[in-house]
Amino acid sequence: MKTLQEVLQDWEAVIGLEVHTELTTLKTKMFCSCPLEFGAAPNTHTCPVCLGLPGALPVPNKAAIQSIVKAGLATNCQIMRRSMFYRKNYTYPDMPKNFQTTQGPVAFCMGGWLDLEIEGNGCKERVDLPQAKTGSYTTHVGITRIHMEEDAGKMVHIGGAEGRISGATHSLVDYNRAGTPLIELVTEPDLRTPEEARQFVQKLRQIYLALGISDCSMEEGSLRCDGNVSIRRRGETKLGTRSELKNINSFKNLHDALVYEICRQAEVLESGGVIRQETRHYDPTEKRTIVMRVKETADDYRYFPEPDLAPYDLSDEFVDHVRSLMPELPDAKKARFMADYALPSKDAAALAGDPATASFFEQAAADSQYVKGIANIILNDVAAYLNATGMGISAAKFTPAAIAQLAQLQGSDAISSKQAKEVFAILCDEGGMPDDIVQQRGMKQVSDTAAIEAIVSGIMDANPDKVAAYRGGKKGLTGFFVGQTMKAMAGQGNPKLISQVVNKLLEG
Amino acid sequence: MTAIMDMDVAAITSGFAAGDFSATEIADAAFEAIEAADPQVKAFLEYTPEQAYAKANALDAARAAGGVLPPLAAVPVAFKDNMNMLGTHTTCASHMLENYVSPYQATCVSKMIDAGGIPLGKLNMDEFAFGSSTETSAFGYTYNPWDLERVPGGSSGGSAAAVASGMATLTLGSDTGGSIRQPACFCGVVGMKPSYGMVSRYGVVAFGSSLDQVGPFGRSVADVAAAMNALVGHDTLDCTSQDCKVDFLANLDQGVKGMRIGIVPGMTFADGCTPETLAAMHDAVAKLEGLGAQLVDVELPHMDAAMSAYYILGPCEAFSNLSRFDSVRYGHRTPGCHELGQQYEKSRSEGFGQEAKRRIMLGSYLLSAGVYDKYYYPAQQVRTLITRDYREAFERADVIVMPSSPRTAFKFGEISDPVSMHLSDMFTISVNIAGNGSLSMPVGLGRDSGLPVGFQIIGPQFQDEKILRVAAALESCCDFRGRVAPAFAKGGEA
Repeated sequence: MKTLQEVLQDWEAVIGLEVHTELTTLKTKMFCSCPLEFGAAPNTHTCPVCLGLPGALPVPNKAAIQSIVKAGLATNCQIMRRSMFYRKNYTYPDMPKNFQTTQGPVAFCMGGWLDLEIEGNGCKERVDLPQAKTGSYTTHVGITRIHMEEDAGKMVHIGGAEGRISGATHSLVDYNRAGTPLIELVTEPDLRTPEEARQFVQKLRQIYLALGISDCSMEEGSLRCDGNVSIRRRGETKLGTRSELKNINSFKNLHDALVYEICRQAEVLESGGVIRQETRHYDPTEKRTIVMRVKETADDYRYFPEPDLAPYDLSDEFVDHVRSLMPELPDAKKARFMADYALPSKDAAALAGDPATASFFEQAAADSQYVKGIANIILNDVAAYLNATGMGISAAKFTPAAIAQLAQLQGSDAISSKQAKEVFAILCDEGGMPDDIVQQRGMKQVSDTAAIEAIVSGIMDANPDKVAAYRGGKKGLTGFFVGQTMKAMAGQGNPKLISQVVNKLLEG
Repeated sequence: MTAIMDMDVAAITSGFAAGDFSATEIADAAFEAIEAADPQVKAFLEYTPEQAYAKANALDAARAAGGVLPPLAAVPVAFKDNMNMLGTHTTCASHMLENYVSPYQATCVSKMIDAGGIPLGKLNMDEFAFGSSTETSAFGYTYNPWDLERVPGGSSGGSAAAVASGMATLTLGSDTGGSIRQPACFCGVVGMKPSYGMVSRYGVVAFGSSLDQVGPFGRSVADVAAAMNALVGHDTLDCTSQDCKVDFLANLDQGVKGMRIGIVPGMTFADGCTPETLAAMHDAVAKLEGLGAQLVDVELPHMDAAMSAYYILGPCEAFSNLSRFDSVRYGHRTPGCHELGQQYEKSRSEGFGQEAKRRIMLGSYLLSAGVYDKYYYPAQQVRTLITRDYREAFERADVIVMPSSPRTAFKFGEISDPVSMHLSDMFTISVNIAGNGSLSMPVGLGRDSGLPVGFQIIGPQFQDEKILRVAAALESCCDFRGRVAPAFAKGGEA
C-alpha cells in the first residue's frame, strides 16, 4: 500500500466527523431524574422512564439544554429558538423503548464553524497547500449541527472472543447509561487530512472542557467519534463513496484509522475496484479497518416528532443568560497568554487547551518575572509527571506558588537546572516550597567565579597531559574539565559559569 | 335508604362523614355488588380487595381521628387496565402483558386514591385500547349492563359497564378517539374526555401519545365533576400536563341562560346516524333552548378529513409506543428461541392480537421512508386545520353539541369489518385531533332500541367547566341522573 504522502499527491481526502459527547458533568439523565454516575453497579441507576416501562413519560433535563446551547455558542452555531425532539425507531435490547429520542431536521444548534491553526509537522499532510510548506496554515471547518439525544444502555456479550457478539452465547444489558444526555456534533465534509481531523476533535474537546459540559474521556467513551471519509482525484468536485469508521477511542486511533482508510481506498480505486458504502471498525492492534456491515439501502428509522414532548421553545432571555455564563474559550485564552505573558504561540496554545492547566499557570504566573520558566516547567516536567501518574493537576502535591518559586530559583541561577529537577521530584513526592527544600538540602548553586577558577586550576594541574592535548587541538576535552569541575563541586556549580571558566583557563 | 352502590358521590361522602356507614361497609357493599353483577357483566380483569380494605381502614381511622376527610372519601373507584396501579397486573387486555405487574403507579391512579377513592380493581378494555367495543380484549368480552347481548362500547368498555351496573361509583378510562365517550354513550353513563393536558398521562400505557387523555365515568355530571377536581393539574412527570385551578363543582348549577350552543348543521343529519339518535339529539337541543340557551350554527369544514388523519396519526404513534413490547425485559416471551430476531418475531406474533398487529403494521408502513411524506405530514396539516376550525367555531359558540355515536349499542359480532367499526367513532375523533374537552351524557332511551342514547358536548380548549355546566343543566331535565342499568339496580327508596 502507498503511504499517505504518496496517495495525497494524486488524491484528495474528504472527511467529515460525527462527535458524540456525553454530558457527564450533569447530575441527572436526559429525561428522568436518575443520577449520572460512571462505574455504578449495573442497573442501579434506573427508573420506569429510562427502563421504558409501559406508561412512563420523558421530561427534558433543562441543564442539558443549557449545556448544548453553550456548545453551540462556543462553536459559532445559530441557536434555534424552536426545535423538536424526534423518535428514531429501531429495535435493539440496549434501547429500552426501542426508539431513541433525538432531534429532527432542526436541532438546538445549526450552522456553526471552527477555524483550525495547523502548525509544525501537522502541515506535512497538506501537500496541496503552498502555505502549509511554511509550517503553519489555517483551515475553516463548517459545523452542520449539534443535536441533543439520549444514550443507549451498555451490552456485554458473554461467551464470544473478546466480548464480541459473534460467537457469544448470551448478552447482558446495563441500563445505567440508558438515557444519559448526549450531544452529537456533525461537521461539514471540510476536513482534508487525518491531522486536521485529529486537531478538530482535540480543539472541540478543549472547548467542551472549558465549558465544563463533559469530562470528554475517549477511553471511558464519554467522547466518541465516527469518521466519514471518501477520496477523489485532485481537481474532481464530485464526492466519492464514503466509508464510516467506528470504534475510535483515541486521537491517535482517529488519525491512524483515517490514514489507513485513505490509503486503502486509493489502492482499491487505483486497481480498478469500487468503494462500497460501508461501516468499518478500526482495529488498533492490527492498525487497519475491518468491514462491520455493508449499507445496501439506507436505514429506515421511521423518524417522526416525539409526541410526548412539545416543540422546545428557547427564549432570548434563556440564550442571553447562557451567553453570560460562557467562560473564556481556549482560542481567546491563547491569544491573551501570548499578549500578556509574551509566550510563543505553541506554548500558549498548550497551556490554554486545558482549563485546569491554564488556571494553574495563571496562578503561578501572577506577579512572577519568570513566566517563561513557569511555562516550561508546566509543559515539560509537570506534563510528564501527570502523564506518567495519570493524575490531574489539581490532585498533585505541588502548588502554583511552589512552581513559581522553582522557576524563580532556576531563572535567577540560584540553583542549577539539574537541581531544579531534583527539587521538582521532591515537590511531587512531598509537596512543600522550593526555598525550604533548597535550604534544607544545601542545594545552593555556586556562582562565585573566583571559587570556580580555583577548582578548575587544581584540575588542570592534576591533568597536565589533557591540558597539553587540548592546547594541541583536542578541543573536545572541554567536556572532561567541565565534568570534573561539576563533580568536584558536588553538582552545585553554575554550569554556565563553569563552562566559561574552563574555556578561559584552557585557552590560557 | 338507597343502597350504597346506587348512591352518587355526594351521598357516599356525606354519609361516610356523618357516620351513616363506614368505609369498610362501603367496600363490603362494593364487593357484594361486584359478586352479584360481574359474573354477567365481566367488567373487571382483576379485583384488588387487599388495597381496597387497606384504604377503607385508613379512611375509617382518619374519620375516627376527626381529621379533615379528602373530597372523594370512601368513594368506590376502579381503573382501566392500561393504568399502572402499584402491585396489580396492568395487562392492557393483552396476552403481551398478561403477567406484567406494575412496579410503579400512574399519577391519575394516585390522585383518585389520595382523594379518598377505595380502589376496587382493574377494568377490561379493547387490547391496548384498539377498538370500539371491548371485543378485542384478549381476556374475553365485557357485556353491556343494559342488554347483555350487546357490547359496552370501547375501548374503555369495562369502565363504563362497571359504573352502569353499580359495581363502582367512579371509574377512569382513557380516550384516544372516543374511548371514554362512546362506551359512556352505550352504557348510559356520563363520561368525560378532558382537554388534552388537563390530566397527567404518566403511568397510563400509551396508545397515541398526542391524542390520549384520561377521564372519569360516573352516573351523574356532578360525580364526574368531583372526579375532575381530583384528577386535573400539572404533573412534573408529564410535561404535556397543564396547571389548572378550576373548581368544576363550583359553577355546575349556573344554568345555560344566554350561553351559545353551537350546532353543525350538516353533521346532525350525517349519514349513518339512526333516526332515534337524531330524534334524541333534537330533543336535547330543544331542552337546552328551553333553558334559555341560544342556538347558533357553526361550521367545522374539515371534519370529513378527521377520520383519515386519525387513522394515520394514531397507528404511527401506536407503532412506536408498542415497540417496547419486545419480550426482552418484560412481557410475553416465546420460549426456546436461540436468536434475537426470532424471539422478537415469535413473541410479538403470539403476544399481540389481530387489531394491535393491524395498527402496528399500518404505523410501521406509514412512517417508512417515502411514505411518511405522503401520509403523516398531510395528516399533521389536517390536524392544524381541524384545530383551527374548532378555535374559530368557539368564537361563535360556548360549546358545540353533536351525537356521541351515530347509534346505540350494537350486538356482539354485529360489526365485523374494521372500517365500519371505526365509523362508530365518527363524532368523537375530531375532538382528540384538536385536543378539546368533551363529554358524553345519556339523554334518554332510544325510541326504537330502548337503549341509552348519548349526547356529546364539546368545549373550547381548557374550558372544560363550561361543558360540565351545560351538561348539568341538561341533566336536570332528562330524568336519567344516577340511573343504574335496570337489571342491576339494587333498589331501595330513592
